[in-house]
Amino acid sequence: MDRVVDIADFAVSKDPRDTLVTYSLGSCIGVAIWDPEAQVGGLLHYMLPESSLSPEKAKSNPAMFADTGVPALFRAAYELGATKKRLVVKVAGGSQLLDDNGTFNIGKRNYVMLRKIFWKNGILIEKEDVGGSISRTLRLRCNGGRLTLKTRDGEREL
Amino acid sequence: MNRANEIVEKIETLPPLPDTAMKLIRVVNDPRSTVDDIVETIRYDQAITAEVLRLCNSAYFGLSRRITSLNDAMLCLGTVKVLQLVMSVHTTNLLAREQSGYGMDPGVLWKHSVAVALAAAQFAGLLRRANGSLAFTAGLLHDIGKVILNDYVAQEFTIIAQKVTEEGASFMEAEQQVLGFSHQDIGGMIAERWKLPENMVLSIRHHHVPSELDPPNDLVDVVHLADCACLMFGLGIGVDGLCYRADSTVLSRHNLHETDLEKIGVQILVDVKRVEALFTTPPSGDRLQSVGS
Repeated sequence: MDRVVDIADFAVSKDPRDTLVTYSLGSCIGVAIWDPEAQVGGLLHYMLPESSLSPEKAKSNPAMFADTGVPALFRAAYELGATKKRLVVKVAGGSQLLDDNGTFNIGKRNYVMLRKIFWKNGILIEKEDVGGSISRTLRLRCNGGRLTLKTRDGEREL
Repeated sequence: MNRANEIVEKIETLPPLPDTAMKLIRVVNDPRSTVDDIVETIRYDQAITAEVLRLCNSAYFGLSRRITSLNDAMLCLGTVKVLQLVMSVHTTNLLAREQSGYGMDPGVLWKHSVAVALAAAQFAGLLRRANGSLAFTAGLLHDIGKVILNDYVAQEFTIIAQKVTEEGASFMEAEQQVLGFSHQDIGGMIAERWKLPENMVLSIRHHHVPSELDPPNDLVDVVHLADCACLMFGLGIGVDGLCYRADSTVLSRHNLHETDLEKIGVQILVDVKRVEALFTTPPSGDRLQSVGS
């Protein structure tokens, strides 16, 4: 069954019938994690880099920000039996409007913040498709952990 | 008939905005208007009144008593929300269809339009420069040109996409180069045909290029920022994605910074979820458990 992960939302599952899907990643970033041994998957769709923008919102909805959403996603996966060292991490999104001055650069800052969080925590990104000006859809099948990326050019494995 | 003529002729076939919507736009555009004027405008439209009452009585608002009249609805929800409801309902027929040329499934263009409308109202409030209800309506209609241009974009998609990916054109510039018109050009013509207020015509015609206007126009700036924010946050985007130019001079003109965009983004998301939840609410006769997230 498709479980839609909305913007500023995340989901985890160990039910092989589940497919976690998130649509319309623009400047937002989708983080997909999969533990092949525990067969646990998770998908996050966060919209902004830092929770300091609105600590109150971050409390009620941690998935809105990278620095609160990523820990929330990982913790939820651990609760289902995943372990950090087995998790395969893939990332997509962070698109930008065409902007010569780089002022509308939320996509870029979203990505920089993610790299920083992962670096601090010793997490490697296995694969990524980041930047440009396209819209992306991510689909994680919890039956084996196959992750696909859909853009205007079609759907492919990530 | 050549294609340019064909496109222009197609504009003539577009049905007019519903009468109530047109009157409301005029009322909202008139600084002398009062709440009573708005109630008067909606009151005689029975279908829309029924719809407003149905939405107000939905579980979403969680009101403790039943709303039975338009005046009641205005008191409970406020004029601005009722007006937003009416305009949103009135544009669903026009905007909710699939736009295959833009890779938009049914409902996606409407979702984008409502998101930009809500965002425009937020930016208008932030700048304290533009009328919030007018900004909402201008945002709601900013992409109306896509409804006409869609079929032609579909026909020439390969060439348009090539101009975007290989020549660095924005999607709008590519439309202009390949079809002779962009969706904002067509939108401007529709707005003129509908005799919308001049400010609104401008904000539809220039929403991707606000700095082309001299002097700049606050409503156009507001719609541009709202559109940029909604594209960035993926609120109803198609295959054109984020392939549009963001005009940073608009930010400096209004002394805004990146964090303002982010803060407004958070607020837009709250507003959009509220409206989405509202419009997925089944008729109030059903007992609802919960809606939205």
